[in-house]
Amino acid sequence: MRLDDLLRVSVRQVLRHRRRYLGVVLAIALGVAGFMLVMTMSRDFKKNFNRDLNLIGGATIIRMYFEDLPDHRPQWFRTETLAGLRRIPGVTDASLVALAGSARTNWRTRQYYFSLLGVDDSFWEVRGLWPLKGQLFHDADVEARKREVVLGTELARRIFGSQEVEGRYMEIDHDLYRVSGLLGGITDSSLANSAFIPLTTAQDRVSGISLPNRLYLRVLTWDDVDRVVAAVPAAVSAHQSADLLRVEVSWEALKRVKHVAWWVEFFIYLALSATLILGGFGIWNVMMAAVRSRTREIGLKKAMGAEDRDILAQFLSEALCLSVGSAILGVALGRLAMEVMGYFIGSSPPLDLFLICLALGLLFAVFLGVGAGLYPSIQASRMEVVSAIRYE
Amino acid sequence: MANGALISVSNLAKIYANGVGTIPVLQKVNLKIFPGEMVAVMGPSGSGKSTLLFILGLFLHPTRGSYHLAGEDVLKLDRTAQAEFRRRRVGFVFQSCDLLENSTVYENLEFPLIYAGVDRRERPARILAALEQVNLEHRIHHASNHLSGGERQRVAVARALVNQPQVILADEPTGQLDRSHSHLIMDHFAEIVKKAETAVVVVTHDPEIAGRCTRVCSLDDGILYEG
Ligand SMILES: Nc1ncnc2c1ncn2[C@@H]1O[C@H](COP(=O)(O)OP(=O)(O)OP(=O)(O)O)[C@@H](O)[C@H]1O
Ligand SMILES: [Mg+2]
Repeated sequence: MRLDDLLRVSVRQVLRHRRRYLGVVLAIALGVAGFMLVMTMSRDFKKNFNRDLNLIGGATIIRMYFEDLPDHRPQWFRTETLAGLRRIPGVTDASLVALAGSARTNWRTRQYYFSLLGVDDSFWEVRGLWPLKGQLFHDADVEARKREVVLGTELARRIFGSQEVEGRYMEIDHDLYRVSGLLGGITDSSLANSAFIPLTTAQDRVSGISLPNRLYLRVLTWDDVDRVVAAVPAAVSAHQSADLLRVEVSWEALKRVKHVAWWVEFFIYLALSATLILGGFGIWNVMMAAVRSRTREIGLKKAMGAEDRDILAQFLSEALCLSVGSAILGVALGRLAMEVMGYFIGSSPPLDLFLICLALGLLFAVFLGVGAGLYPSIQASRMEVVSAIRYE
Repeated sequence: MANGALISVSNLAKIYANGVGTIPVLQKVNLKIFPGEMVAVMGPSGSGKSTLLFILGLFLHPTRGSYHLAGEDVLKLDRTAQAEFRRRRVGFVFQSCDLLENSTVYENLEFPLIYAGVDRRERPARILAALEQVNLEHRIHHASNHLSGGERQRVAVARALVNQPQVILADEPTGQLDRSHSHLIMDHFAEIVKKAETAVVVVTHDPEIAGRCTRVCSLDDGILYEG
C-alpha cells in the first residue's frame, strides 16, 4: 500500500467518523494547549507574579553594599561596575543609593529627623515603588541635579500633617528642596520615614551623606536569583576591588516563594498529564472498539488482497491521524491562548519556545498515537479472513 | 498435478471444530477446473458450498487435501503470499455481498486496485469499466449504504472483476437480481472465461443460472458430484 493512499484513506476514515472521535480529540487538544501555555507563559507569569510579590518583601531583590571598616578606605560602586552588573543575564535593573543615616529639617519651629537617601531614577522600578501623589523624579531630574525631594508617607504626615505635600518646599542641609511627590507602593516603615533626593544632588550638596555604596539589583524571576548572586562578585571585581562587598538576599522568603511556585507548577503539570494520559487511553479505547466494530471491513479488505501489514498500517495511521490532528489542534488553541494571555499580562509570547512546543507536541502525538494504537492495530492485522467475514 | 488444469483440488476435507464437537462439512472434494470453464456448484443449504469457495479463495485452510492453482501448491503459501494470491489471482463475490460501509461505490472498487498497487491515474478508467459491465456506472459516487440489494450485489461483482483475476469465485452472485440482470452478469462471466486462463466458479440455487455454465457440480453430504 502506498503512503499517499494510506494517508488519504486514513484521513477519510477519521473524518467520516469524526463524531466518534470528538471526545478524544478534544481531550488531547486541550491537554496539549494547556501544556504549551504553561511551558511558554510560565516565565512571563512568574515575572508578573514576581512584580506583585514585592509587596511581600521583594524576594527577588538583591541588596549589595560595601562594608565600612575603620581601618579601610571607604568603597563605593563605580559607574562601570553598575553597568557590568546590569549586563548579568536575568538582571532587569540596578539602582545605586547613597544614605545619610540622619538628616534634619525645620518646619514651623519644630525639628524633624529622618533618613535621607540619594537615589537614581532606577530606584523606584527596582524597589517596586510608585508615586502616591505627584511624581517620582526621572533620569532627567537626576541628570540636572535638581533639588527635588520625594517623601515617604509617614514622614510627610509627621512634618506637614497631610498628604497634600506636592509643591511645598522643605529645607535639607541649608538648601531648599521642592517636594515633587509622595511615595506609594508597599513600603516598610523605614522607607515610609525616609526622604529621597537625586543621587547627584545629594553628592553635590548634602554633607555627611555616604558615598554611593549601596546597590539594589532587580532579578527577573526567583529562578534567576542564585545564578545572579553567583555572578555578582566577578562582575564587581572586573572593575574594582570586591573585598568589602556584601551581598544580601532574603533567602528564606525566596525559598518559600520557590516552594509555593513549585507546587503550583507541579499540580498544573499533573492535571495536564492526567488529561493527556486520559486522551491516550481514549485513543486506545476508540481504536479497540473500532477494531471490533470494523471486523467485517477488515475481513473484506483482506479478501480484497490486503496484507497484514496493510491493515496494521491503516489502523496505526488512523490512530496517528487522530493524535497528530489533535495535537495540531491543541497547538493552534495554545497559540491562541498565548496571544490572549500575552495581551492580558502585557507581554509577547516567545516564538522560540512556541516552536519548541510545536515540535514537542508533534513528537508527543506520534508517541501517543503509536503507543495507544499499536496493540489494537496488531489485533486487527492478525484477524483471519473467514472469522471476520462470518462475524456478526 | 493436473495437466493444464487451472484449479486442481483433490481429497479436500474441512472439519469445523466448535466448542461442542466437530462438524465435518466437506468430506471428499475432487475438482479440476480448466481455463475457459464456468462451473456451477449447487447443493442444499448448509452443504458447504460457501466453505468450499472460501477454501478456493484461501480464506480458510482445509483440514486435509491438496489444492493447486496453475500447478502451484497454494496451501503452502505464507500469509503474505496468500494475500498476494487473493489480490492478483482471485476475485470473490460474497454471498452476503458485503460492501465497505460508509464508503462510496468508487472507493469500494478502488481498494483492490490500491492493494494491487495500480497507479492512481489508471484507477478511474478501470473502475468505470468494471461498473459498466454491471450497468452501474451512474452510481459510481453513491454511498454504498444507499444502494438497493441488487445494486449492492452488482457492485460486489464489479469489485471482483476490477482486478481482472484468473479465477472468479462467486457465492450466489445473482441471488437478489431479476432475470435480466442475472443474465447480464452471466453474460459477462461467459465473456471473461472465453479469454484464456480464466475460470469462474458460481454457487447458485437457480437451475437456469446453472444451465448457463459449462459444467454443473453438486455438493451433498460433503462429497462433490459431477452433474
Ligand atoms: N466456523 C464454523 N464453525 C462451525 N461450523 C461452521 C462454521 N462455519 C460454517 N459452519 C457450518 O458449516 C456448514 C456449511 O456452511 P456453508 O456456509 O459452507 O454452507 P452453504 O452450503 O454455503 O449454505 P447456504 O446455501 O445456506 O449458503 C453449515 O452447517 C455451517 O453451520
Ligand atoms: Mg453459502
